Order: sequence, then C-alpha cells, then structure tokens
Amino acid sequence: MSRHAQENLASVLLLAVFAGVIVLCQDFGPRARMIPLPLAVFGIVLTLIQLAWHNFGSPENLQMDMISVHGPDVLTGDAPVVRASGPAWLREVKAYGMVGVLLALIFTVGVMPSAFLFTAGYFIVTRYCSWPLSLAYAAMLTVSLYLLFVVALEMQLYHGLLAPLFQ
Amino acid sequence: MIDAMVAGLAALLTPQALLFMFIGVVYGLVIGILPGLGGVVAMALLLPFTYGFETAATLALLLGAHIATIWGDSVTSILFSVPGSAKGLALCFDGYPMTKQGQAKRALAASATGALLGGIIGAIFLALCIPLIRPVILALGPSEYLMMALWGLTVIATFSEGSLMKGLTASVLGVLVAFIGMDVVTATPRFTFGSDFLMEGISFPVAMIGLFAVSEMMKLAIKGTPIVDRSLVKEESTVWQGVCDAFRHWWLVVRSSLLGLWIGVLPGVGASVAGLAAYAQAAQTSKTPERFGKGAVEGVIAPDATMGANEGGGLMPTLAFGIPGGESMAILLVAFIGLGVVPGPDMLTKNLDLVFSMVWIIVIGNILVTLIGLGITPWLARLPSLQANLMVPIVLSVCFVGAYATRGHIEDVLVAAVFGVVGYLMDKYRYSRANFVIGMVLAVMIERNLHISLTLYGRDFLLERPIALAMLAFVVITAALPFIRNWRRRKLAQAAGAQS
Repeated sequence: MSRHAQENLASVLLLAVFAGVIVLCQDFGPRARMIPLPLAVFGIVLTLIQLAWHNFGSPENLQMDMISVHGPDVLTGDAPVVRASGPAWLREVKAYGMVGVLLALIFTVGVMPSAFLFTAGYFIVTRYCSWPLSLAYAAMLTVSLYLLFVVALEMQLYHGLLAPLFQ
Repeated sequence: MIDAMVAGLAALLTPQALLFMFIGVVYGLVIGILPGLGGVVAMALLLPFTYGFETAATLALLLGAHIATIWGDSVTSILFSVPGSAKGLALCFDGYPMTKQGQAKRALAASATGALLGGIIGAIFLALCIPLIRPVILALGPSEYLMMALWGLTVIATFSEGSLMKGLTASVLGVLVAFIGMDVVTATPRFTFGSDFLMEGISFPVAMIGLFAVSEMMKLAIKGTPIVDRSLVKEESTVWQGVCDAFRHWWLVVRSSLLGLWIGVLPGVGASVAGLAAYAQAAQTSKTPERFGKGAVEGVIAPDATMGANEGGGLMPTLAFGIPGGESMAILLVAFIGLGVVPGPDMLTKNLDLVFSMVWIIVIGNILVTLIGLGITPWLARLPSLQANLMVPIVLSVCFVGAYATRGHIEDVLVAAVFGVVGYLMDKYRYSRANFVIGMVLAVMIERNLHISLTLYGRDFLLERPIALAMLAFVVITAALPFIRNWRRRKLAQAAGAQS
C-alpha cells in the first residue's frame, strides 16, 4: 500500500472515531458532553486538515515511518542495521501475532502458565537457545513472577477459561 | 523550631528506624521497577506491617518505600521507555533517547542525583514554609488547579515536531480516552457501551504499559536488534557525568524542585502532572529547546527533581488539614490513624517533631536511594543491550502480568494489548504517544476543575479569581514562548543568510 493510502486510511479511521464520539455524545447531558463534544469536533477539523495536507502537500513533508517507505532494509533512526529477516510486512504481522498469542494464552490457561508457555515458546521458535535451556529460562521467569506478584504482593491469580475443566 | 528539628532527627537515628528505612527503600526500588505498580501499591502493601512499631520507624518504612518508587519508575522509563507508573512518563521523553545514544549511565545517574537534590531542596523549603503554607493552600481553588493542568498541556507543542496537527490529534484522542467511564460530576456513563469494566475507566498504568512497553517490544521483535546495539553504539557515558550534570544545571534543579513542592502542596494534583509540568518548564525555558525529546539531559533532571520535591509538598496538606495531597498521602493518613496521630493544624504546633521526622525521612531516604541507585547504575545500564529475542518475551510477560496486577481485572490485559497495537501504529504514523498520554493524564483534572469552577463562580470564573487569571496569562506566555523563540531564530537566520 502506498504511503498516501496508508496515511489516508489512518485519517479516515480517526474521522470515524471522532464522528462516533459525536454521535455518542448526543445521549449525554449538556454538562457531560461539555468537553468531549467540542473536542471531537476539533479532532475532526484537525484530521481534515491533516487529510488535505497528505493529499495536496509535498510528499517530503509526510511524517511516515521509513520502514514503509524504503522497504524492509531501512528502519527508523532507532538502529541503522536490521538483523531480522523477511519482508517488513511479514515481520509486522508476526509482531501482532505475538501479542495475540500471549493474549490468547492468558485468557485460556491463565496468567502464570501463559508466561511460562509464551517465554519458552518464543525462545524455541526464534532459536534463541536450545529447548532444555528455553524451558529452564522460562521456568526461572515464571517462578520469579510468582514469587513477586503472588507470594510477595498477594495478587489473586486468573486461572483462565479452561480452569473449570480441571476443577 | 530548632528543637523540633533535632528531636525529629533523633527519633530516626534508632536501629529500628534505620533498618526500616533501608528495607523500605530496597522494597520501593523493586516495586517501582515493576510495570504498573508504583508508590501507592508499595505503601498499601506495607500498611499491615506497620502496627506495633515506633512511629518514626513506621513512617520511615512507608515514606522510604514511597520515595524509592520514584527512582524505580525512572529506571524502566529511561532504559526501556516503560514507565512504571504515570509519574515516570516524563522520563521516557529524553531518558530513552539517551539510552539509545549509549548514555544510559549518565541518564540514570542524572535522574538519581536530580531526585536527591529535588528531595533535599523540597524538604528544606518545606521546613521553612511550614508556618506560611496554610494561607497559601486556602487561597487556591479549583480554578487555579485548572490553570495548573492547562499549563501541563503546553508541553504538547514540544512533542509535535514535524506535524503539530498529528500532535494535537493524539492529545485529543488521549483526552477522549480518559473520559471513558462514569463521569463523576454528572454520574453519566460515557463511552462504556454497557460494559461494567469500562465504567471504572481505563487505568493509566495499564494504558501506558500498552502504549510504551508492549509497542516497544513489538518494534524490537520487528527489528530483531537490541534497544542498544553495542557493536554500533558504545556506552561511553559515566555515572560521574550524570552526577555532574545535575549539579551543573543547578538552577533548573532549584526551579523544578520549587515547582514540585508547589504542585505537591495542591491537593489532588499528583506527581504525574508534576513531572509533565517540570518537563514543560525545562523545555520552554531552555536556550536549545530543539534538543528536547532527542536526549537532552535536562529533560531527565527536571522531572526527577520535581518528583523528588513533590513528596515534601504532598505532606503539607496531609499534615496541616488532613487533606491528602495524593493517593499515597491518603495511605499515609490511614497509617497515621493506626499510629494514633491526628493530622490537622495541631500537627504543625504540638507534633512539630514528628513533622520534622518526616522531613528528615525524605532527606535520608533520598540519599539512600541515590547511593544505591548510583551503585547499581553500571549494571542496570547493560540491560538495554540484551538481545531482542531474550528481552521481548520476558518484558511482554512481565508487562501483561503487571497490567493484570494493577487492578486485578483480566480485561486490563486486553486493554494493554489493544493499547500496545495502538501505540505501535501511532509511532509508525508519527502520532505522538507522549501527547496521547499527556491528554489522558490531564483530561480528568481539567474537566473536574472546570465543572467545579463553573458551579462555584459561574461562567466568568476567571474574573472572580484573579490568581487564576494571572496563572492563565502565565500559561499563555509560556505556551507562546517556544514559537516566538523559533520565529526570532528563523528571522536571525534569514538576516544572516541575506548578509552573506
């Protein structure tokens, strides 16, 4: 997708959010909507100006992440050398997937087991270390988290949606 | 007064009080470093262990832990751009860029020394101001608090470099997100879609874990490189450099400390606003504001000095009126009740030695935190050079557990993930995440104080409150200052170009 199209898409999404806020504000009383309503209108104005800027301004003025502009080998100013392999979009999808997997694990097996499974799995998949070492590192992390959050801070654990099956 | 100062110090020099302070400080550092947990959690968890001990020792444990969380928060903000709590946010702006430039030791040391100096200056002014503070607090009302929050908003321009439109859009979004939940003024559920969870609103620490920590880990996973690649960026700074930086910018430290003390005195404003306001004044008064956001050491020193001094300020309304200056001070009030101490005007006359004990705790606690901090800085500074494949799963797991631990709601984990993706996209398309959080932090304070001002004084409340009007003028001037300075600089450059 071209940089203009990406920026336009972001602006359209923002417009939808601000429009949604305006619609929802109609149900509030005058006091409750005193700040959100004008702010949402202000947001729409800002986004429309930004949209016009994208499409009628100079391409050099666009504030875009260089990862999308120059392809997979150039990143933002954070680090000049990229060691990850594969196209940028694929790495991005993997990053979303990584968060999704951890989220799914937490909701299904609970907080602590998911920390163990995710960490061990990540080490194994990325070949950071051998699988016995991956399991050992993951176990160390999980025990540390358990001691800190559950034993020391007395946090009540969430056991996941599968917990009733084991009770 | 001198007698009370000596008696206050003597009460702290018992083995029990000193041991409790050391335990409190170490414990506070650990809690501060954990994402989502801050001084409030640290003090709340210690509360059950405080009964039956000496009063000074108990206060040393509680306040020591609370003071230590300030630097603990700063550590993760500087090294990983992961604020431990809302007050650590301002440290991400310049601390993290310094880490990426191989100046982590300098940033951590400047932060620790800034907090120490701020704490000491705050404590000294607190001691001097004790007789004067009562009329000052009574002279301020919601209109003045509103102006304080508006001042915090002026920092937005600093983070909108490149696209002011996008910077403003991000802050508008942040403000709107802060309105999710029950509106406390009108009891109207806003943007909750019938969800009980959303009625409580979006938790700031959880949103920040997502916006900064989760999105940074996503970026690391995509790049596959460490935060700092030592083959490219050597750690060339030293701890001593950071210490010297804090002393070299002594005027900034004094200004920031007084600001922190002032904000601390205002009940309900809080350290997160203090950090942002300190950053704003540092950027706006700097001769080189363009360095801010790119690794300016002043951007690290100012918020830490402010937050160090803020604790002393927060004690004032708590002790003098029994009105807690913030959430942590509310917990301190509970501890007072357990200890049989009654806060109120009598505290500043009959229990002055206890008040000075607390002033000394702030000083000694800050010294202890700084000594430990400077000692462990060389080891901490190595953490950002760990491989991405090691960092990502560990930090993500800790962050999600931290998000859950914040309120014990599993939905908060989902919120952290959503904000993580939003934060990643905002960073990618250059919508400032900092502005988003600034909007979020200040929104509720602005709305609440605006409503109260309108109710109390009507639409022309500014005319009724001359102090607020003067503060508004100050806000306008400080907001316009960077633009005027830029305009003058451009004019000078044009004139120089025309001459050559």
